[in-house]
Amino acid sequence: MMTLGHYLTVATALFTIGAVGVLVRRNAIVMFMCIELMLNAVNLAFVALSKTVGNLDGQIVVFFVMVVAAAEAAVGLAIIISVFRARRSVDTSRTRELRL
Amino acid sequence: MDPSIILSAIVLLSAVAVVALRNPIHSALNLVVAMLGLAGIYAMLGAHFLAAVQVILYAGAVVVLILFVLMLLNLKVEQASPRDLVIQGLAVVSGVSFLAVAIPSVAQRFGSFPSARDVFVAARGPEVEGTVKNIGALLYDEYLLPFEVASVLIMAALVGAVLLGKRRRDTAK
Repeated sequence: MMTLGHYLTVATALFTIGAVGVLVRRNAIVMFMCIELMLNAVNLAFVALSKTVGNLDGQIVVFFVMVVAAAEAAVGLAIIISVFRARRSVDTSRTRELRL
Repeated sequence: MDPSIILSAIVLLSAVAVVALRNPIHSALNLVVAMLGLAGIYAMLGAHFLAAVQVILYAGAVVVLILFVLMLLNLKVEQASPRDLVIQGLAVVSGVSFLAVAIPSVAQRFGSFPSARDVFVAARGPEVEGTVKNIGALLYDEYLLPFEVASVLIMAALVGAVLLGKRRRDTAK
């Protein structure tokens, strides 16, 4: 029998894996993929809680999170392509202009 | 064995593979596996519409876009330098230690909730299924304003992506 704790545990673990991935990886596109993992972890938590509560408000929130994630994917990848055109690399350890 | 456990294991293993693999194309393919596993979990939780949208939108549009960009940029495999190993080790250690604290507390706090509707007093009534009809009724009735704002957001993202993707022909490169 699957309880709410199971799904929330998976969501927590998935979010942490995504967060560690953003910290560990230098490739901007892989960092973006780890951000998508974090968004999906939040979606899983919302869907599990929606099933627990019994209404569909959580699933509506997931719908909008997916919409925002898709819009973010388009714009974020366009930014990455622009950065690549300027300096031929998506290595985030090499783009240091905004660093202190 | 409950299919949810198998799907959860698939999702978590492929998520670790997304983070750990050196080749970004391999990471993207494992991301597809994770998205599909999550779609299966949504379907088992009764969110049929969201399972379909997860496959269509995430696995079918976002990751395909990522793969297009990866193949367009034609990147080399990421090389590890010793300077990064300290940061990577610290990140992994902090992530694992956070999980060691968070997972037992989450599992113990929510583990006895097979269906905890009695805890939430604002429940709407009998349990509704996440079918297209029910989601549509809610989306066009109570959440109409966020729905329209989301369409404006998509339009803005479209314009922004096209503008950022245009090759500048007026400056001398």
